[in-house]
Amino acid sequence: MTMEVKPGRDMAVASRSRMALIRGEDLAAIVVFALLAVIPFVVSGYAVYILPQYMLLGVLAMSLAILWGYAGIVSFGQAAFFAIGAYALGLIMKYATLPVNVAYVGILAGMIGAALIAMIIGYFLFSAGVRSAYFVVATLALSIIVEQTVKSFSTITGGWNGLYVDRMTLTLGPFLEMSLFDDVPMYFTVLAVVIVAYLSVMTVMRSSFGKILVGVRENEDRMLALGFNVPAYKTLAFGLSGLLAGLAGALYATHASFAHPSNAGVLFSTQVVIWTAIGGRRSLLGAFAGAIIVASLSNALSAIKAIQNYWPLIQGLIFIAVIVLFREGLAGLIETIFRKRHHGRAT
Amino acid sequence: METLVSVFADTLLITLVLALAAFGLAIIYGLIGVINMGHGAMLTLGAYFTWWSTRHGLPFAPSVLASAFTVGAVGLGFEHLIVRHFYNRPFDTLLLTWAFFLVATEMIKILFGTDFRNVTPPLDGAIDLGIYRIPAYKTLVGALSILLILGTAFVLFRTPLGVKIRAMVQNREVASLLGLNVARMYKLVFAFGAFTAGLAGGLIAPMYSVDPYMGNTFLVRSFFVVIVGGVGQLLAGTLFGSFAIGGLETVLALFSDQVIAQIAVFFIAVVILRFRPQGVFTGR
Repeated sequence: MTMEVKPGRDMAVASRSRMALIRGEDLAAIVVFALLAVIPFVVSGYAVYILPQYMLLGVLAMSLAILWGYAGIVSFGQAAFFAIGAYALGLIMKYATLPVNVAYVGILAGMIGAALIAMIIGYFLFSAGVRSAYFVVATLALSIIVEQTVKSFSTITGGWNGLYVDRMTLTLGPFLEMSLFDDVPMYFTVLAVVIVAYLSVMTVMRSSFGKILVGVRENEDRMLALGFNVPAYKTLAFGLSGLLAGLAGALYATHASFAHPSNAGVLFSTQVVIWTAIGGRRSLLGAFAGAIIVASLSNALSAIKAIQNYWPLIQGLIFIAVIVLFREGLAGLIETIFRKRHHGRAT
Repeated sequence: METLVSVFADTLLITLVLALAAFGLAIIYGLIGVINMGHGAMLTLGAYFTWWSTRHGLPFAPSVLASAFTVGAVGLGFEHLIVRHFYNRPFDTLLLTWAFFLVATEMIKILFGTDFRNVTPPLDGAIDLGIYRIPAYKTLVGALSILLILGTAFVLFRTPLGVKIRAMVQNREVASLLGLNVARMYKLVFAFGAFTAGLAGGLIAPMYSVDPYMGNTFLVRSFFVVIVGGVGQLLAGTLFGSFAIGGLETVLALFSDQVIAQIAVFFIAVVILRFRPQGVFTGR
């Protein structure tokens, strides 16, 4: 028993500094979202058009950070859920006539559909103890399956030509009816949804559920021995991740006015892995910011002829550098800098 | 009768071609436990090098050999620079080899362009079996696939080098205590896996159109070959896995189109992965 006192004390110290860092992350989140809220007042034009798309890619990266950062599961199939969300909204808006706002139904259907499929696949695999690399391969196959399915049912989905999706209209009973055709209302709607999504996921991850997931990441066998139903928790985490990716996909489709089979593709799926790795796999905000930064950077650099063709290559090299040198990505880097300063003052 | 013979011949050929394509992955995963997500990119590299050298006047056979050696050298360089530092962190090797895929694909795009390329098959025509004509080039590739697998089997089970490799697979610590240079063995196996992938890429180049992402579906199919056949079951496992995946694809394609068949096969493979992650025939 006496042996355990020391690690216990270390844990207490660690958790105290962890608390400070959590507050730090809250502060960072406020800064990031405030910045995003101010941007439309400062600039106009293309940036206001494109940023909501990047924010939604950020939400997609967050959906992976839930898995990778908290539960220690890597999925190469996040794009599949994104595409399920996008096509659910697109198809429902195209074919359904309903007494309520079709877009709401479409978004909900996309989220729930993606979450359900994630949970079915998740439980199917997790209950047999499929882990790490095998899970990666299975989710990679899922991406290909969804992409090929969308492509081959071309009479309904438009196949390789993609599916046109209208900009949705925001309604609230008799009180409000606002088309999101213009970019500024669209911008703030997406930003509001993103903030709500971030806060909800953060709340879930700070609850005991999130702590159990961290336990699974750190030592799955011990969590099993402690009596936790590990496959069920992993399944729920995967479902939450699918829900978030489905939401991102649905809103992305209506923003871009387009859903495309490549939204489900392997390349897009791995792009999500890259964003999350660069932003910081352990941090929801890091993953979110990582996607926005990398996507903005690729957009800005693709305008420059000399770099254009080399950017994906550079991105691949950065990805290698992150895995070899900065495992926690940008968020980890910032955390270390702050921690060093903090320690510097303390001593 | 005719369909029966044609299905049989098609299945046999696709099995052998798939076995060839998957063999590099099976070697690296089975012998040193690295999931080489760059396997597909190595195939693509082999195909492009072959396309490039045949276009510059080199005959087909030396082109393929040169491509295989070049891809082997690339693999060796990648192993030496990066992979060898991560052997005790398997998941990081997966991510890093995936990064290899990203970087290699972009290099291909920059060096060779993004257009679809074609390599002229060195053998035209077909072999007439009376009721069915099988394509001559595919048959040659099938024969080479068998040769490669038998050759590897010979090295593994009949030479001192094979004894060392098998010792290393069985128990790394003891093998290294007995004076085996494990680091060099790993290097050799990784380079040989890359060489095999490059060879396969060059040989299958004339059968498909060559594009920067041609390796992608082969990567996933190769994985399923290895998983269905059983990890570490290099010879019979690879052949059986290829037979299961390729045969299923052929048979299903009879009743539906190619794409649906592939979706169905991936689906079935995921189910197999769930119930028999150690392969269909290997005991627990």
